[in-house]
Amino acid sequence: MVNPDPAGPAEVSAEELGRRLLQRRFTARLLPQLRLLVEECAAREGLCEPRRGEFVLAVDEIAGNAVEHAGGSGRLLLRRVGDELECRISDAGPGFSEAVIPELLPGLDGATKGRGLWLARLVADRFAVAAGAPGTGMTGAVVTLAVRLR
Amino acid sequence: MSARDTGSDHLLPVQHLRPGDHAFVSYGNDEVRWEVVTAFVRLGLARGEKVLVLPCPGVPEEEVLARLDFPSRSTVSARARGQLVVSSMRELIRPDSEFTAARQMSRLGAETERATAEGYAGLRAFIDMGWVAALGTDVGAMERRETGAQALFTGRPYTEICAYDRRRFDRAVVSAMERAHPRALLERLGSLRSLRGPDGVLCFIGEADAANQDTFTRSLEIALAHTAALRRLTVDLTRLHFLSVGCTVRLLTLTRAAAGHDLVEVRCDRGQRRMLRRLGGGTVPRLVLTEVVRAW
Repeated sequence: MVNPDPAGPAEVSAEELGRRLLQRRFTARLLPQLRLLVEECAAREGLCEPRRGEFVLAVDEIAGNAVEHAGGSGRLLLRRVGDELECRISDAGPGFSEAVIPELLPGLDGATKGRGLWLARLVADRFAVAAGAPGTGMTGAVVTLAVRLR
Repeated sequence: MSARDTGSDHLLPVQHLRPGDHAFVSYGNDEVRWEVVTAFVRLGLARGEKVLVLPCPGVPEEEVLARLDFPSRSTVSARARGQLVVSSMRELIRPDSEFTAARQMSRLGAETERATAEGYAGLRAFIDMGWVAALGTDVGAMERRETGAQALFTGRPYTEICAYDRRRFDRAVVSAMERAHPRALLERLGSLRSLRGPDGVLCFIGEADAANQDTFTRSLEIALAHTAALRRLTVDLTRLHFLSVGCTVRLLTLTRAAAGHDLVEVRCDRGQRRMLRRLGGGTVPRLVLTEVVRAW
Protein backbone atom coordinates (compact mmCIF):
# COMPACT_ATOMS: atom_id res chain seq x y z
CA MET A 1 0.00 0.00 0.00
CA VAL A 2 1.33 3.40 -0.90
CA ASN A 3 0.83 6.14 1.60
CA PRO A 4 1.70 9.40 -0.16
CA ASP A 5 2.64 12.42 1.88
CA PRO A 6 -0.19 14.95 1.40
CA ALA A 7 2.32 17.78 1.76
CA GLY A 8 4.39 16.52 -1.17
CA PRO A 9 4.37 18.27 -4.55
CA ALA A 10 1.80 16.92 -6.98
CA GLU A 11 4.31 15.98 -9.66
CA VAL A 12 6.22 13.58 -7.40
CA SER A 13 5.05 10.02 -7.88
CA ALA A 14 3.70 7.97 -5.02
CA GLU A 15 6.53 5.49 -5.53
CA GLU A 16 9.14 8.18 -5.03
CA LEU A 17 7.43 9.38 -1.89
CA GLY A 18 7.51 5.87 -0.54
CA ARG A 19 5.41 4.12 2.03
CA ARG A 20 5.43 5.76 5.43
CA LEU A 21 6.25 3.28 8.19
CA LEU A 22 6.72 5.52 11.19
CA GLN A 23 6.54 9.17 12.05
CA ARG A 24 7.52 10.27 15.51
CA ARG A 25 8.73 13.24 17.48
CA PHE A 26 11.37 12.35 20.02
CA THR A 27 13.28 13.65 23.00
CA ALA A 28 16.10 11.98 24.93
CA ARG A 29 13.58 10.17 27.13
CA LEU A 30 11.90 8.59 24.12
CA LEU A 31 15.02 7.26 22.40
CA PRO A 32 14.68 3.69 23.78
CA GLN A 33 11.13 3.53 22.47
CA LEU A 34 12.23 5.04 19.18
CA ARG A 35 14.87 2.33 18.76
CA LEU A 36 12.26 -0.34 19.42
CA LEU A 37 9.89 1.10 16.83
CA VAL A 38 12.62 1.43 14.21
CA GLU A 39 13.79 -2.12 14.89
CA GLU A 40 10.22 -3.38 14.59
CA CYS A 41 9.72 -1.65 11.24
CA ALA A 42 13.10 -2.80 9.94
CA ALA A 43 12.35 -6.40 10.88
CA ARG A 44 8.91 -6.16 9.28
CA GLU A 45 10.47 -4.88 6.07
CA GLY A 46 12.90 -7.78 6.01
CA LEU A 47 16.16 -6.10 7.02
CA CYS A 48 18.22 -8.90 8.55
CA GLU A 49 20.91 -8.85 11.21
CA PRO A 50 23.58 -7.55 11.47
CA ARG A 51 22.39 -4.80 9.10
CA ARG A 52 19.27 -4.21 11.17
CA GLY A 53 21.32 -3.53 14.29
CA GLU A 54 23.61 -1.21 12.34
CA PHE A 55 20.62 0.69 10.99
CA VAL A 56 19.11 1.13 14.46
CA LEU A 57 22.50 2.26 15.76
CA ALA A 58 22.86 4.83 12.97
CA VAL A 59 19.36 6.18 13.59
CA ASP A 60 20.05 6.45 17.32
CA GLU A 61 23.31 8.31 16.74
CA ILE A 62 21.64 10.87 14.48
CA ALA A 63 18.64 11.26 16.77
CA GLY A 64 20.98 11.61 19.75
CA ASN A 65 22.90 14.28 17.88
CA ALA A 66 19.66 16.20 17.37
CA VAL A 67 18.79 15.89 21.05
CA GLU A 68 22.23 17.06 22.14
CA HIS A 69 22.81 19.88 19.69
CA ALA A 70 19.40 20.99 18.45
CA GLY A 71 17.30 21.87 21.43
CA GLY A 72 16.55 18.47 22.88
CA SER A 73 14.15 17.09 20.32
CA GLY A 74 13.68 16.12 16.72
CA ARG A 75 11.36 14.38 14.31
CA LEU A 76 11.81 11.02 12.62
CA LEU A 77 10.21 9.81 9.43
CA LEU A 78 10.82 6.22 8.39
CA ARG A 79 9.77 5.12 4.93
CA ARG A 80 10.09 2.24 2.54
CA VAL A 81 11.29 3.75 -0.73
CA GLY A 82 11.69 1.14 -3.43
CA ASP A 83 14.19 -1.40 -2.17
CA GLU A 84 15.47 0.91 0.54
CA LEU A 85 14.58 1.63 4.10
CA GLU A 86 14.97 5.37 4.49
CA CYS A 87 15.09 7.35 7.71
CA ARG A 88 14.88 11.13 7.75
CA ILE A 89 15.61 12.98 10.98
CA SER A 90 14.94 16.68 11.18
CA ASP A 91 15.56 19.15 13.94
CA ALA A 92 15.20 22.86 14.65
CA GLY A 93 18.75 23.48 15.81
CA PRO A 94 21.45 25.69 14.33
CA GLY A 95 21.99 23.28 11.44
CA PHE A 96 25.20 21.70 10.22
CA SER A 97 26.74 20.42 7.04
CA GLU A 98 28.22 17.07 6.15
CA ALA A 99 31.61 18.76 6.21
CA VAL A 100 31.69 18.54 10.00
CA ILE A 101 31.76 14.75 9.81
CA PRO A 102 35.39 13.63 9.75
CA GLU A 103 36.52 11.83 6.62
CA LEU A 104 38.65 9.47 8.62
CA LEU A 105 37.83 8.07 12.00
CA PRO A 106 39.39 10.25 14.71
CA GLY A 107 42.04 8.41 16.70
CA LEU A 108 41.18 7.33 20.21
CA ASP A 109 43.29 10.16 21.59
CA GLY A 110 41.86 12.67 19.11
CA ALA A 111 38.62 14.61 18.97
CA THR A 112 35.80 13.01 20.90
CA LYS A 113 33.04 14.36 18.66
CA GLY A 114 31.81 13.21 15.30
CA ARG A 115 32.27 9.46 15.64
CA GLY A 116 28.54 8.75 15.80
CA LEU A 117 27.81 10.57 12.56
CA TRP A 118 30.95 9.08 11.02
CA LEU A 119 29.72 5.58 11.77
CA ALA A 120 26.17 6.38 10.65
CA ARG A 121 27.51 7.50 7.26
CA LEU A 122 29.74 4.45 7.07
CA VAL A 123 26.95 1.92 7.55
CA ALA A 124 24.43 3.72 5.30
CA ASP A 125 24.06 2.96 1.62
CA ARG A 126 22.82 6.51 1.15
CA PHE A 127 23.51 9.45 3.45
CA ALA A 128 22.91 13.18 3.16
CA VAL A 129 22.71 16.27 5.33
CA ALA A 130 20.58 19.20 4.22
CA ALA A 131 19.35 22.45 5.65
CA GLY A 132 15.97 22.28 7.32
CA ALA A 133 12.87 23.48 5.48
CA PRO A 134 14.65 25.34 2.65
CA GLY A 135 12.97 28.56 1.62
CA THR A 136 11.13 29.02 4.88
CA GLY A 137 13.84 30.84 6.75
CA MET A 138 13.77 28.12 9.40
CA THR A 139 17.01 26.80 10.79
CA GLY A 140 17.73 23.18 11.42
CA ALA A 141 19.11 20.14 9.69
CA VAL A 142 17.64 17.17 7.89
CA VAL A 143 19.74 14.02 7.93
CA THR A 144 18.72 11.23 5.59
CA LEU A 145 20.14 7.75 5.70
CA ALA A 146 19.00 4.71 3.82
CA VAL A 147 19.97 1.06 3.62
CA ARG A 148 19.18 -1.41 0.89
CA LEU A 149 16.88 -4.22 1.86
CA ARG A 150 18.13 -6.59 -0.83
CA MET B 1 38.53 -16.22 18.39
CA SER B 2 35.12 -17.74 19.04
CA ALA B 3 33.49 -19.54 21.92
CA ARG B 4 30.18 -21.07 22.89
CA ASP B 5 27.90 -19.05 25.16
CA THR B 6 27.98 -21.33 28.15
CA GLY B 7 27.78 -18.69 30.85
CA SER B 8 24.82 -18.07 33.08
CA ASP B 9 22.46 -15.79 31.23
CA HIS B 10 19.46 -15.59 33.52
CA LEU B 11 18.85 -11.85 33.15
CA LEU B 12 18.13 -10.53 29.67
CA PRO B 13 16.62 -7.56 27.85
CA VAL B 14 13.22 -8.49 26.42
CA GLN B 15 14.52 -8.05 22.87
CA HIS B 16 16.81 -11.06 23.37
CA LEU B 17 14.03 -13.57 24.03
CA ARG B 18 13.96 -16.43 21.56
CA PRO B 19 11.68 -19.43 20.99
CA GLY B 20 11.96 -21.83 23.92
CA ASP B 21 12.49 -19.08 26.49
CA HIS B 22 10.38 -18.95 29.65
CA ALA B 23 10.89 -15.60 31.31
CA PHE B 24 9.93 -13.76 34.47
CA VAL B 25 9.34 -10.04 34.75
CA SER B 26 7.89 -7.95 37.55
CA TYR B 27 6.55 -4.44 37.67
CA GLY B 28 5.48 -2.04 40.36
CA ASN B 29 3.42 0.62 38.63
CA ASP B 30 0.85 0.96 35.90
CA GLU B 31 3.04 2.83 33.42
CA VAL B 32 6.14 0.64 33.49
CA ARG B 33 4.04 -2.52 33.13
CA TRP B 34 3.41 -1.77 29.46
CA GLU B 35 7.03 -1.40 28.32
CA VAL B 36 8.01 -5.06 28.24
CA VAL B 37 4.72 -6.32 26.85
CA THR B 38 4.72 -3.74 24.07
CA ALA B 39 8.24 -4.66 22.99
CA PHE B 40 7.47 -8.37 23.24
CA VAL B 41 4.31 -8.07 21.15
CA ARG B 42 5.70 -5.77 18.47
CA LEU B 43 8.92 -7.70 17.94
CA GLY B 44 7.05 -11.01 17.92
CA LEU B 45 4.67 -9.78 15.24
CA ALA B 46 7.55 -8.40 13.19
CA ARG B 47 9.33 -11.77 13.41
CA GLY B 48 6.27 -13.58 12.09
CA GLU B 49 5.18 -15.22 15.33
CA LYS B 50 1.63 -15.49 16.59
CA VAL B 51 1.18 -13.49 19.80
CA LEU B 52 -1.18 -14.21 22.66
CA VAL B 53 -1.66 -11.58 25.35
CA LEU B 54 -3.40 -12.43 28.60
CA PRO B 55 -3.50 -9.09 30.42
CA CYS B 56 -4.31 -8.59 34.05
CA PRO B 57 -8.02 -9.24 34.59
CA GLY B 58 -9.74 -5.97 35.23
CA VAL B 59 -7.69 -3.95 32.80
CA PRO B 60 -10.11 -2.91 30.04
CA GLU B 61 -9.33 -4.45 26.66
CA GLU B 62 -9.52 -0.98 25.10
CA GLU B 63 -6.65 0.13 27.31
CA VAL B 64 -4.61 -2.96 26.43
CA LEU B 65 -5.08 -2.36 22.72
CA ALA B 66 -4.41 1.35 23.01
CA ARG B 67 -1.16 0.70 24.89
CA LEU B 68 0.01 -1.93 22.43
CA ASP B 69 -0.79 0.32 19.50
CA PHE B 70 0.85 3.49 20.78
CA PRO B 71 2.30 5.43 19.02
CA SER B 72 1.75 3.68 15.69
CA ARG B 73 -1.17 1.43 14.91
CA SER B 74 0.95 -1.41 13.63
CA THR B 75 -0.91 -4.05 15.61
CA VAL B 76 -4.33 -3.33 14.12
CA SER B 77 -3.88 -5.46 11.01
CA ALA B 78 -2.30 -8.24 13.11
CA ARG B 79 -5.41 -8.39 15.24
CA ALA B 80 -7.63 -8.40 12.19
CA ARG B 81 -5.87 -11.42 10.67
CA GLY B 82 -5.62 -13.28 13.98
CA GLN B 83 -1.86 -12.98 14.46
CA LEU B 84 -2.41 -11.03 17.68
CA VAL B 85 -4.96 -12.36 20.14
CA VAL B 86 -5.91 -10.67 23.40
CA SER B 87 -7.61 -13.14 25.70
CA SER B 88 -7.69 -14.30 29.32
CA MET B 89 -6.69 -17.34 31.34
CA ARG B 90 -10.36 -18.02 31.94
CA GLU B 91 -10.90 -18.12 28.19
CA LEU B 92 -7.79 -20.22 27.58
CA ILE B 93 -8.91 -23.05 29.86
CA ARG B 94 -12.56 -22.94 28.82
CA PRO B 95 -14.81 -24.96 28.85
CA ASP B 96 -13.17 -25.92 32.14
CA SER B 97 -13.34 -23.34 34.87
CA GLU B 98 -10.72 -24.57 37.30
CA PHE B 99 -7.05 -23.99 36.64
CA THR B 100 -4.72 -26.94 36.64
CA ALA B 101 -1.16 -26.80 35.40
CA ALA B 102 -1.72 -29.76 33.09
CA ARG B 103 -4.83 -28.21 31.59
CA GLN B 104 -3.21 -24.86 30.96
CA MET B 105 -0.06 -26.35 29.46
CA SER B 106 -2.09 -28.65 27.26
CA ARG B 107 -3.98 -25.65 25.87
CA LEU B 108 -0.82 -23.64 25.31
CA GLY B 109 0.81 -26.62 23.61
CA ALA B 110 -2.19 -26.94 21.32
CA GLU B 111 -2.08 -23.22 20.57
CA THR B 112 1.59 -23.51 19.66
CA GLU B 113 0.83 -26.34 17.24
CA ARG B 114 -2.04 -24.38 15.78
CA ALA B 115 0.17 -21.32 15.29
CA THR B 116 2.75 -23.29 13.33
CA ALA B 117 0.01 -25.03 11.33
CA GLU B 118 -1.30 -21.58 10.42
CA GLY B 119 2.11 -20.70 9.05
CA TYR B 120 3.51 -18.62 11.88
CA ALA B 121 7.09 -19.01 13.06
CA GLY B 122 5.84 -19.92 16.52
CA LEU B 123 3.76 -18.69 19.43
CA ARG B 124 4.67 -16.19 22.09
CA ALA B 125 2.48 -15.53 25.10
CA PHE B 126 2.49 -12.69 27.60
CA ILE B 127 0.70 -13.75 30.76
CA ASP B 128 -0.01 -11.28 33.52
CA MET B 129 -0.21 -13.36 36.66
CA GLY B 130 -3.14 -11.33 37.95
CA TRP B 131 -5.21 -14.27 36.73
CA VAL B 132 -4.17 -16.25 39.83
CA ALA B 133 -6.34 -14.16 42.15
CA ALA B 134 -9.05 -13.68 39.54
CA LEU B 135 -9.56 -17.43 39.20
CA GLY B 136 -9.14 -18.04 42.93
CA THR B 137 -6.19 -20.29 42.20
CA ASP B 138 -3.91 -21.44 44.96
CA VAL B 139 -0.51 -19.76 44.73
CA GLY B 140 1.09 -23.15 45.30
CA ALA B 141 -0.57 -24.52 42.17
CA MET B 142 0.74 -21.56 40.22
CA GLU B 143 4.25 -22.11 41.59
CA ARG B 144 4.16 -25.78 40.63
CA ARG B 145 3.18 -24.86 37.10
CA GLU B 146 5.98 -22.32 36.81
CA THR B 147 8.63 -24.73 38.00
CA GLY B 148 7.38 -27.70 36.00
CA ALA B 149 6.68 -26.27 32.59
CA GLN B 150 9.85 -27.38 30.77
CA ALA B 151 7.98 -29.68 28.40
CA LEU B 152 6.08 -26.72 27.03
CA PHE B 153 9.31 -25.08 25.89
CA THR B 154 11.84 -27.76 25.09
CA GLY B 155 12.18 -28.11 21.35
CA ARG B 156 9.07 -26.03 20.70
CA PRO B 157 8.73 -22.60 19.09
CA TYR B 158 7.03 -21.26 22.19
CA THR B 159 8.10 -18.21 24.21
CA GLU B 160 6.43 -17.02 27.38
CA ILE B 161 6.67 -14.08 29.74
CA CYS B 162 5.04 -14.33 33.15
CA ALA B 163 4.53 -10.85 34.59
CA TYR B 164 4.15 -10.36 38.33
CA ASP B 165 2.71 -7.19 39.82
CA ARG B 166 4.76 -6.65 42.98
CA ARG B 167 1.76 -4.95 44.57
CA ARG B 168 -0.31 -8.13 44.27
CA PHE B 169 2.13 -10.86 45.25
CA ASP B 170 4.05 -11.42 48.43
CA ARG B 171 7.69 -10.40 48.07
CA ALA B 172 8.88 -13.93 48.87
CA VAL B 173 6.67 -15.37 46.13
CA VAL B 174 7.99 -12.88 43.59
CA SER B 175 11.59 -13.69 44.52
CA ALA B 176 10.93 -17.42 44.34
CA MET B 177 9.28 -17.07 40.95
CA GLU B 178 12.16 -15.01 39.62
CA ARG B 179 14.52 -17.80 40.60
CA ALA B 180 12.18 -20.48 39.24
CA HIS B 181 12.17 -19.10 35.70
CA PRO B 182 15.07 -19.90 33.39
CA ARG B 183 15.09 -16.26 32.28
CA ALA B 184 14.34 -12.96 33.97
CA LEU B 185 13.84 -9.70 32.12
CA LEU B 186 14.85 -6.13 32.74
CA GLU B 187 11.74 -4.27 33.76
CA ARG B 188 12.23 -1.23 31.54
CA LEU B 189 13.35 -0.43 28.02
CA GLY B 190 16.51 1.61 27.88
CA SER B 191 17.92 0.29 31.14
CA LEU B 192 21.41 -1.00 31.77
CA ARG B 193 22.60 -3.41 34.43
CA SER B 194 26.11 -4.53 35.15
CA LEU B 195 26.94 -7.71 37.03
CA ARG B 196 30.23 -9.11 38.28
CA GLY B 197 30.18 -12.88 37.99
CA PRO B 198 31.92 -15.19 40.46
CA ASP B 199 34.65 -15.60 37.87
CA GLY B 200 35.19 -11.84 37.90
CA VAL B 201 33.64 -11.29 34.48
CA LEU B 202 31.98 -7.89 34.11
CA CYS B 203 28.71 -8.44 32.28
CA PHE B 204 26.56 -5.69 30.83
CA ILE B 205 22.85 -6.32 30.26
CA GLY B 206 20.34 -4.15 28.43
CA GLU B 207 21.03 -0.99 26.49
CA ALA B 208 24.33 0.89 26.72
CA ASP B 209 23.07 4.10 25.17
CA ALA B 210 24.00 7.74 25.63
CA ALA B 211 21.84 8.06 28.73
CA ASN B 212 23.69 5.15 30.35
CA GLN B 213 27.18 6.12 29.22
CA ASP B 214 28.32 7.38 32.62
CA THR B 215 27.06 4.22 34.34
CA PHE B 216 28.78 2.09 31.71
CA THR B 217 32.03 3.99 32.17
CA ARG B 218 31.93 3.85 35.95
CA SER B 219 31.34 0.09 35.96
CA LEU B 220 34.33 -0.39 33.68
CA GLU B 221 36.55 1.84 35.79
CA ILE B 222 35.61 -0.02 38.96
CA ALA B 223 36.15 -3.40 37.32
CA LEU B 224 39.54 -2.35 36.05
CA ALA B 225 40.50 -1.13 39.52
CA HIS B 226 39.33 -4.37 41.12
CA THR B 227 41.31 -6.51 38.68
CA ALA B 228 44.51 -4.49 38.86
CA ALA B 229 46.27 -7.23 40.85
CA LEU B 230 45.15 -9.96 38.46
CA ARG B 231 46.23 -7.82 35.50
CA ARG B 232 43.35 -9.13 33.39
CA LEU B 233 39.66 -8.40 32.98
CA THR B 234 36.90 -10.03 30.94
CA VAL B 235 33.99 -7.87 29.78
CA ASP B 236 30.89 -9.61 28.42
CA LEU B 237 28.77 -7.53 26.03
CA THR B 238 26.65 -10.36 24.65
CA ARG B 239 23.59 -9.55 26.72
CA LEU B 240 23.50 -5.98 25.48
CA HIS B 241 20.77 -5.32 22.98
CA PHE B 242 22.18 -1.92 22.14
CA LEU B 243 25.71 -0.55 22.32
CA SER B 244 26.23 3.08 21.36
CA VAL B 245 29.26 4.51 19.66
CA GLY B 246 30.00 6.58 22.77
CA CYS B 247 30.04 3.55 25.09
CA THR B 248 32.15 1.58 22.62
CA VAL B 249 34.72 4.37 22.49
CA ARG B 250 34.78 4.56 26.30
CA LEU B 251 35.52 0.83 26.41
CA LEU B 252 38.35 1.24 23.93
CA THR B 253 39.91 4.29 25.57
CA LEU B 254 39.74 2.81 29.07
CA THR B 255 41.31 -0.41 27.82
CA ARG B 256 44.05 1.51 26.10
CA ALA B 257 44.75 3.44 29.29
CA ALA B 258 44.81 0.30 31.47
CA ALA B 259 48.56 -0.01 31.28
CA GLY B 260 48.69 -2.21 34.38
CA HIS B 261 46.64 -4.92 32.71
CA ASP B 262 48.11 -7.60 30.49
CA LEU B 263 44.77 -8.49 28.94
CA VAL B 264 41.27 -7.12 28.55
CA GLU B 265 39.10 -9.71 26.87
CA VAL B 266 35.79 -8.52 25.42
CA ARG B 267 33.17 -11.16 24.67
CA CYS B 268 30.89 -9.84 21.98
CA ASP B 269 28.56 -10.80 19.17
CA ARG B 270 29.36 -10.39 15.51
CA GLY B 271 27.87 -6.92 15.17
CA GLN B 272 29.60 -5.63 18.29
CA ARG B 273 32.90 -7.07 17.12
CA ARG B 274 32.56 -5.30 13.82
CA MET B 275 31.80 -1.99 15.56
CA LEU B 276 34.72 -2.37 17.98
CA ARG B 277 37.01 -2.94 15.03
CA ARG B 278 35.57 -0.06 13.01
CA LEU B 279 36.08 2.31 15.92
CA GLY B 280 39.73 1.45 16.33
CA GLY B 281 39.77 -1.73 18.40
CA GLY B 282 42.61 -3.09 16.30
CA THR B 283 44.92 -0.36 17.56
CA VAL B 284 44.34 -1.02 21.26
CA PRO B 285 47.06 -3.08 22.91
CA ARG B 286 46.02 -5.84 25.31
CA LEU B 287 42.49 -5.92 23.85
CA VAL B 288 41.26 -9.34 22.72
CA LEU B 289 37.84 -9.68 21.09
CA THR B 290 36.14 -13.05 21.54
CA GLU B 291 33.12 -13.53 19.32
CA VAL B 292 30.47 -15.58 21.09
CA VAL B 293 28.27 -17.85 19.02
CA ARG B 294 24.96 -17.98 20.76
CA ALA B 295 23.21 -21.30 21.28
CA TRP B 296 19.99 -19.94 19.77
